[in-house]
Amino acid sequence: MSAPLLSVTGAVKRFGGVQALRGVDFDLKAGEIHALLGENGAGKSTLMNLLSGVYTPDEGETLIDGKPVTFNNPREAQAAGIATIFQELDLVPSLDVAANLFLGRELMRPGGMLDVPAMRREAKRRLEAIELAIDPARLVADLSIGQRQVVAIVKALSYASRVLIMDEPTAALTVGEVERLFEIMRKLAASGVGIIYISHRLEEVPEIADRVTVMRDGRVAGITEPHAPQAELVRLLVGRPLDELYPERARSAGKALLSLRDASFRLARESAGWQPPTGVSLEVREGEIVGLAGIMGAGRTELLSALYGTGLAGRWQGEVAVDDKPVRLDSINAARRAGIAFVTDDRRGSGLMLRMAVSLNLVMSVIRRISPAGLMSPRRQAEAVTRSFGQFDIRPKNPDIAVGALSGGNQQKVVLAKEILGNPRLLLLDEPTRGVDVGAKGEIYARLRALAAQGLGILVASSEMPELIGLCDRIVVLRRGRNVAEFNGGVDEHTVLAAANGREA
Amino acid sequence: MSDQKISVAANPAVPGTAAPGHRVDPLAIVVRFQSLIGLVLVAIGGVIFSPRRHGEILFLNPDNIANIVRAVSETGIIAIGMTFVIITAGIDLSVGAVLGLSSVVTASMMISGGFGLIPTILAVLVMGIVFGVVQGTISTRFRLEPFIVTLAGLQAARGLALIVSGNQYINISYGDGPGLAPPVFAVLGERLFDNTVPVATIVFIIFAAIATLVLNTTRFGRYVYAVGGNERAARISGVPVSMVKISVYAITGFASALAGIVHAGQFNFGSANDGVGYELTAIAAVVIGGTSLFGGAGSMVGTVAGTIMLGALANILQLNNITPATQLLATAAIIVLAAVLQSLVRRREGLGR
Repeated sequence: MSAPLLSVTGAVKRFGGVQALRGVDFDLKAGEIHALLGENGAGKSTLMNLLSGVYTPDEGETLIDGKPVTFNNPREAQAAGIATIFQELDLVPSLDVAANLFLGRELMRPGGMLDVPAMRREAKRRLEAIELAIDPARLVADLSIGQRQVVAIVKALSYASRVLIMDEPTAALTVGEVERLFEIMRKLAASGVGIIYISHRLEEVPEIADRVTVMRDGRVAGITEPHAPQAELVRLLVGRPLDELYPERARSAGKALLSLRDASFRLARESAGWQPPTGVSLEVREGEIVGLAGIMGAGRTELLSALYGTGLAGRWQGEVAVDDKPVRLDSINAARRAGIAFVTDDRRGSGLMLRMAVSLNLVMSVIRRISPAGLMSPRRQAEAVTRSFGQFDIRPKNPDIAVGALSGGNQQKVVLAKEILGNPRLLLLDEPTRGVDVGAKGEIYARLRALAAQGLGILVASSEMPELIGLCDRIVVLRRGRNVAEFNGGVDEHTVLAAANGREA
Repeated sequence: MSDQKISVAANPAVPGTAAPGHRVDPLAIVVRFQSLIGLVLVAIGGVIFSPRRHGEILFLNPDNIANIVRAVSETGIIAIGMTFVIITAGIDLSVGAVLGLSSVVTASMMISGGFGLIPTILAVLVMGIVFGVVQGTISTRFRLEPFIVTLAGLQAARGLALIVSGNQYINISYGDGPGLAPPVFAVLGERLFDNTVPVATIVFIIFAAIATLVLNTTRFGRYVYAVGGNERAARISGVPVSMVKISVYAITGFASALAGIVHAGQFNFGSANDGVGYELTAIAAVVIGGTSLFGGAGSMVGTVAGTIMLGALANILQLNNITPATQLLATAAIIVLAAVLQSLVRRREGLGR
């Protein structure tokens, strides 16, 4: 048997006292699509960074075609034929496609002038080689995320053509774009490229992968067939069988907390791509978890942010009531006074102060309560932090480290714990488990259900249908800013999807 | 594990740079105390390289030390204010010009205006605050970069100072009666406690102490970190972001006015053209002190140490008759070193390149 295209044996990597990789063996064959799975912190990013030359291993060996190699920097890895496509695509949005493809290796005319027509011609040829019709003269900023992904692949392949490492390439793609991306990946594999495909989405694995390596705690937890049952993959991922991801539903709900009746949000100025709530009627009662479903652009996020006063400028019309009393929800302060808290879908961008300690982030929403007369009370702060750590199993159990150093799941727990500290009566959640691993998801669901049992009302928007169906008591479907259907939790996915798309089930 | 006791640092001077319990990153410690370490190193270097006279180390001569801390007190006061602004991820370029304006207004109010000492000082401090409030309001109201707004503020303050002074030095003469400043004002140029501690330095230290308390123990101080740490997150948490931003520019305005009053008292004149480049010295002291230009992290103690370190460094070089050109290069090297250390720590924390 011939040596694999790329292999790693006994890879160890330490960061200070943390051992990110504890002896990992991994191999990739030519023409293979090899899925690399693992929860956050399992070590898959570290492994990827070793292979792409970002880090050098402390122990272990990397081999290409059976011959040992060392990469001191990404350039050396590229020279050996390994290309990496990171989640943040390294494209310059303000330049056109051709300029991006040739960035740093521009084609020149004699005399030092850029040969733009030649670059565009060559770019077109390369794009067409994977059957992609993108005009090379278009600005990257004007492309969809899916198209950008493909441009990044073409760019990567133009300087390294044997191994392609893709870090969660489908995270931001629509279903159609994912399909197209998979076609391209299959085509590349058929031409002999080895592809390492890193993903959180278990359901994609059987569709695209030839082989699956699951990592856990810096080790390889198992190598399996892509068609292994999902339960088996989950067991490898979390190290224990995942009996019940979703907690049991509530038996009964209390009195109405938030009620909207034919409520519309009139924007001060129209904004393309921002779907304002239009004639929405819905109710969230005490102790109830209500889901907001809808396709992209149906106005889920917009409804939540308009309720919390963080959306665009405008005002509510129709009936908006909290506790059956009409309220004017026109600012963050108004919402907070009404007992409403909000967790954004963008915890790094607008949820957390990443460089600041976990403790300081946690107390941010109760800062008034812990600073009588304007002076911070260390005792009250410590009490609040202890309470949060008691409610959410935030790891590591150290409130003094920068929150940015935590895994996605733990960061999300911090954002939630922060808002819970403020004792809200109604919690608005936007994509509460985006980028969160399976274990932390289950924990977050359980905690939300427990909070609801204590009377908290929760309105949760999510693009993950199984999450809405599993977690929520009721699901309200939005289309073009309007509520078009309502189902009880546990409804089947197709019914909800049909309503979201405006079809009969 | 789950019932493990959770300890909370009461007052982390540098929120977020604290390393996880038992695996402390030595580099992070170095950066946290970089300006103090730098100050110690500069002091040691000062002793080693100091010229000696009759066996006495001139660097350690009490007069020399008094000179160092006196010389840095004006930029130090400004750097204290600047620390607030930089922690919010802002910048204030107008400080040196406001110092000049304040020295001019101080002198002309007392000399040509016939105002008393207390009304003059109060008026100048209020002027500084108003100047900052205007800059902060313009910046937040119209969503302009503070860099641009305070660059305009710099020009405006210099212009106003030239108008007030008619581009003349306004000399301050002391005595009783109209056109004379009360003699007590001259105390700003003197030393207390057996002629050892410069009054300007006392002002600096008191201001630094108050600022440290405000930053570390008040709700407002926490808001300052929050706004710089993540403005959107702060807003969503109900932090009055615009108020905080306007306030930090009010603080730099106040600090610049205070430094301008000290300046007038030390040199016995007001001049529209004084304080040029102070904004850069102050920013350098803040950055060397470990405060991040990205916002959200920084410490007042660091700024004070950074300020004194820069002064001590200049002093050693002067004692050895090394040219100002070399001084500039040395300062440049230290700024780069401080910035590189911070960047390394950021990278280790996995928070961007």
